[in-house]
Amino acid sequence: MQIDLRTVTIEPVHQTFDHLARRFGDKPASRYQEGSYDLQAAENLHYRPTWDPDQALYDTGITRIVMADWHALKDPRQFYYNTYTVTRARQQDATEANFSFVESRGLVALLPPQLRTLALDLLVPLRHAAWGANQNNAFMCGYGYGVTFTQPCMYHAMDLLGIAQYLSRIGLLLGDTAALDAGKRAWMASPVWQPLRRYVEDSMAVRDPFELFVAQNVALDGLLYPLVYQRIVDDELASRGGSAVAMLTQFMSDWYEESSRWVDAVLKVAAAESGRNREVLAQWLDAWTRRAAAALLPVVAQALGPAADEIVAEQLAALAARTAKAGVAA
Amino acid sequence: MSVTARKPYIGVPRDSVANFNGRQIVYVSWDHHLLFASPFLICIEPQASFRELLQGPIAALIQADPDAAAIDWSMVEWLKSNRPWTPDPARSLSDNGIGHKDQIRFRTRGHNSLLPEASGTS
Amino acid sequence: MDVKAVPKKLGLKEKYRHLTRGLGWEPSYQTREALFPYAGYEGIRIHDWDRWEDPFRLTMDAYWKYQAEKERKFYAVIDAHAQNNGHLNITDARYLSALKIFLQAISPGEYAAHRGFARVGREFPGVGTQVACQMQAIDEIRHAQTQIHALSNYNRYYHGFHAFADARDRIWYTSVARSFFDDAMSAGPFEFMIAIGFSFEYVLTNLLFVPFMSGAAYNGDMATVTFGFSAQSDEARHMTLGLECIKFMLEQDPANVPIVQRWFDKWFWRGFRVLGLVSTMMDYMLPKRVMSWREAWEIYGVENGGALFADLARYGIRPPAGWEDAGKAIDHMSHQFMLGLYQWSFGTSFHSWIPSEEEMDWLAEKYPTTFERWYRPRWDHLRKLAAAGTPFKNFGLAKLCQCCQLPVVFTEPDDPTLSCHRELEYKQEKYHFCSDHCLRIFEDEAEKYVQAWLPMPQLFQAPLNGDVGAWMAWVGLKDGLDNGDFAGSPDQRNFEQWRRNATRNHREGEAQ
Ligand SMILES: [Fe+2]
Ligand SMILES: [Fe+2]
Ligand SMILES: [Zn+2]
Repeated sequence: MQIDLRTVTIEPVHQTFDHLARRFGDKPASRYQEGSYDLQAAENLHYRPTWDPDQALYDTGITRIVMADWHALKDPRQFYYNTYTVTRARQQDATEANFSFVESRGLVALLPPQLRTLALDLLVPLRHAAWGANQNNAFMCGYGYGVTFTQPCMYHAMDLLGIAQYLSRIGLLLGDTAALDAGKRAWMASPVWQPLRRYVEDSMAVRDPFELFVAQNVALDGLLYPLVYQRIVDDELASRGGSAVAMLTQFMSDWYEESSRWVDAVLKVAAAESGRNREVLAQWLDAWTRRAAAALLPVVAQALGPAADEIVAEQLAALAARTAKAGVAA
Repeated sequence: MSVTARKPYIGVPRDSVANFNGRQIVYVSWDHHLLFASPFLICIEPQASFRELLQGPIAALIQADPDAAAIDWSMVEWLKSNRPWTPDPARSLSDNGIGHKDQIRFRTRGHNSLLPEASGTS
Repeated sequence: MDVKAVPKKLGLKEKYRHLTRGLGWEPSYQTREALFPYAGYEGIRIHDWDRWEDPFRLTMDAYWKYQAEKERKFYAVIDAHAQNNGHLNITDARYLSALKIFLQAISPGEYAAHRGFARVGREFPGVGTQVACQMQAIDEIRHAQTQIHALSNYNRYYHGFHAFADARDRIWYTSVARSFFDDAMSAGPFEFMIAIGFSFEYVLTNLLFVPFMSGAAYNGDMATVTFGFSAQSDEARHMTLGLECIKFMLEQDPANVPIVQRWFDKWFWRGFRVLGLVSTMMDYMLPKRVMSWREAWEIYGVENGGALFADLARYGIRPPAGWEDAGKAIDHMSHQFMLGLYQWSFGTSFHSWIPSEEEMDWLAEKYPTTFERWYRPRWDHLRKLAAAGTPFKNFGLAKLCQCCQLPVVFTEPDDPTLSCHRELEYKQEKYHFCSDHCLRIFEDEAEKYVQAWLPMPQLFQAPLNGDVGAWMAWVGLKDGLDNGDFAGSPDQRNFEQWRRNATRNHREGEAQ
C-alpha cells in the first residue's frame, strides 16, 4: 500500500535532546549543537590510562587553564563535519583551478629565476613546519577537554596536513623532487631554519593542550602566516612579478583569515573566564611569541633582507593588538 | 601479570564494602532456574540472619518461578563460592561467612517446570 | 637551490610518498622519546617505520572532495526523510528499540574512536601511520554526527532517544560499550590499534553494520540505511588500516607475536561480548527479519574469520582463545539476552516484548537444536504471567561481569541449564565473571579491571544509595514513557495512530 505520509501533521513529543534542552532551552537545536555539545564521556570513566595513570581518560587537570564549562569554547564558524568538509571541498576546487591555471599557462616558466628560487627556499621547508603544526593540533584534539574545543582542533590538524601537501605540490611544480630534498636539507641543517625547527620540536614536547594551542595556533602561526603569505608572498613576490606564487598560496591566506576567527574566539573566552587564566595565557603568550618572532626572523630575512627586523616587529605589534583585543595582554 | 604501564599502576576498586553504608552485596543464584536471567544482586546488612535473607529478598524474588512454592528449604543444597556449604539459618550472614560480593547458590531436586530436562538434577 | 626546467612526472605512489612520508624528520633538539613518549612502553618493537604500507593513498584534497560529495547526499536524504514524515515508513515502532540502543551505546563509541584515533595519530612515530590514523579520527566524528543527525528526527516523535548523552555515562547497559572503549583508550597506542582498528573494525564490524543496515532497509528506515551506506567507504578504509597495522607489528619483530596474540585473544572476546547484543536485534527486535544471528555468524564470523585466521597463521598467530566458546554460544545468546532485557525493561530506555507465536515459530526454525528445547518454555511462562495481569519484572537486579559488564545471562558452554559462575579473589576483594575468557582478561590486568565502574553495585552507593526513583531521574529515564513492555507503550499508540491518520488522509485524498 502506497501512503502519502506528508498529509499527516504530528506534534513532536520532544523538541530536542535533554542535554541540549538544558543548555539552550527546550527548542529545536542546530546541527552544530547536536554534533558537538556533551558528546564526550564525562562521568564514570572506567580505567586510568596505562600511558599515564596520574591522569583520567579525559582530564581537565592536564592544562593550567581552568574552565567551569569547557564547552564554552565554541567555534564561531560552527564547523561540524559536514560544514567543514563542504567548505574545504569548495576551497579545494578553487585551489585546484589556481594550480591548473598556473600550470596550463606555463606561468612557472615565466617566473624570474631568482623569484622561483626565493619561493622554493621559503615555502618548501615550511611543509615540515606545517606537519609539526598538524601533530600539535592532533594532540590538542586528542587530549583537550570538551567537544567544542577539541573538534575544531582536528579540523585544523587536517587543514595543516592539507597545507603541508599544497606546499609540497608547490615544491614539485616550481622545482622537482630535488626541490623537496633541498627543502628538507635546509630544514634539517641550514642556519636559517634551525631556530624554527627547534621551536617546532620544543612545542611538540609540550603536553598541556592549551599551552600548545597558544604556542602553535596563536604565537607561531599568528606570526608565520601573515609574515610569509601576506608580507612576503602577496606583497613582495607579487610586486616583483611573482603573482603566480600568490595564486598557489591563496588557500593559506584565506584559511588563516578564517581560522583566526576561531583561534581568537577560544582565546577570548578562556581569558574572560578568570584573572588566573589571563595571567597564565599572558605568560605563555609572552614566552612563545618572543621565541616565535626570533625563530621567524632569519626566514623573513632570507626573503626580505635587512627590512626583516622592522617587518617582524610590525607583525609582533599586530599580533599583540590582536591578542589584546581577545583580552590577553602579553 | 601486572599492567604494562609507563608508571606504577595501582587500581582503586570501586565496589569496596566501605562504600555501601553498612550494607554489603550478596549474589544469589538458583541452579537450573533460568527464568531469572542472571544471579540476583542483593544489598543487605551483614548482621541480617541467613533466614531473613531467605524469607525476605530471596523468597520475594523467586516467586515468579512455578517451582518456587514447592521448595522444601530443609532439603535445599547450598554452595558458596561454588563449593558445597551448609548455612545456619539462625545466624547472621557474617557469622555464616558470607562476605561482601560473595555468591551463594542453591539447588532443589524434583520437577523443573521451565527446564524439564534439568528435573531431578542437582 | 637547483631548479630543473622540466619536472619529471611522478607516479601516484611516489607522489603520495612525497606528500606524506616526506613531511617527517628525525628530531635533534628533542629526543625521539620526548616527542613520542608513548611509543615504546608496550614492548612492541618497530625497527623501520618506513616499512609501513600506506593502506589507502588519500591526500587531503581528495579526502575533502570525496567526503563532501557523500555529505551533501546524506543530508539531502535525511532532510527529505524528516520533511516527509519518513519515520512513519518503518514496519512498526518495535523496530525503534534497535535504534535507541544504537544511539545510546554505539554512537558514543564512534565519538570515543574519534578521540582515540586523534591520540594515536599523534603518538605513533611514523608519518604514514599517523596520517592514516588522523583520517580515521576525522571519519569517526563524522559517524557520531551523522548518526545523531539521522536519529534526531526520531527523537522528535518517539521516546527513549532524548537522554542518550546522560545514558551513555550513567545507565547500566551502556557501560558495556563504554567500558570497551575506555579499555581501548586507556591502553597504549599499539594495543588501541588492535582493539579498535583490528578487532572491532576488521574482525567484527561486518557483524554490526551489515545486519544493522539491512535490518534498517527491510524495516523501512531510510535514515539509518543512509548513514550506514554513507559510512561504508570510510569503514572499508578503516578495515584496511586495521589489517595493515596488525601485519606491520607482526612483520617487524617476532617478539611482537606473543604480545599481539594476547591482545587478539582479549579484544576478540571483548568485541564479541559487546556485539553480542546485535544478536538480539536480529532475532527479536526487527519486526521484519533479515536473517538469524546464527546465519549472520556463519557468514561474517565463521567464513570471514576462518579466512583471516588462515592468513595470520603464517605469522604464528592462532585463532583467538575464545573462538570455540563463541561458536558454542551462538545458538543461545540472543534468547538469553532478550529474556534478560524483557524482565529488566523497567530499567531500560527502550522497549522489550514477548515474541508472538509466529515469531517463536521462526526462532524454532532458525534454532532447531535450542529454541524449543530450552527457551520456548520460558517465553510461554512469561506470556502466561503477562496475560494474567502479573507481568514478570525481575527486581533482583543483575550480577554483572567485572570485565565485559554484561549481566551474567550466559550458561556454561556445555550446559544450557546452568548459569556460568566464575569468580576469583584479588587483594581481598571478590570479583565475578561471565566466562573463562573475561576472567582471564581480568587476571592479566587485574589492577585495571578492579577500577571498573559497575552500574548495578553503584546504584547502592552514594549518591543514589539504592533509591530507584532517584536513579531514573539521574539516568534520564521517564518511567512509563521510555521503558517497559512495548505492548501498551506511548510509542506503540502514537505510531499506530499516526499511521492510521496518514492512511485515512490518503484515502480521502484519493476520493476527492
Ligand atoms: Fe565509525
Ligand atoms: Fe570505523
Ligand atoms: Zn564478561
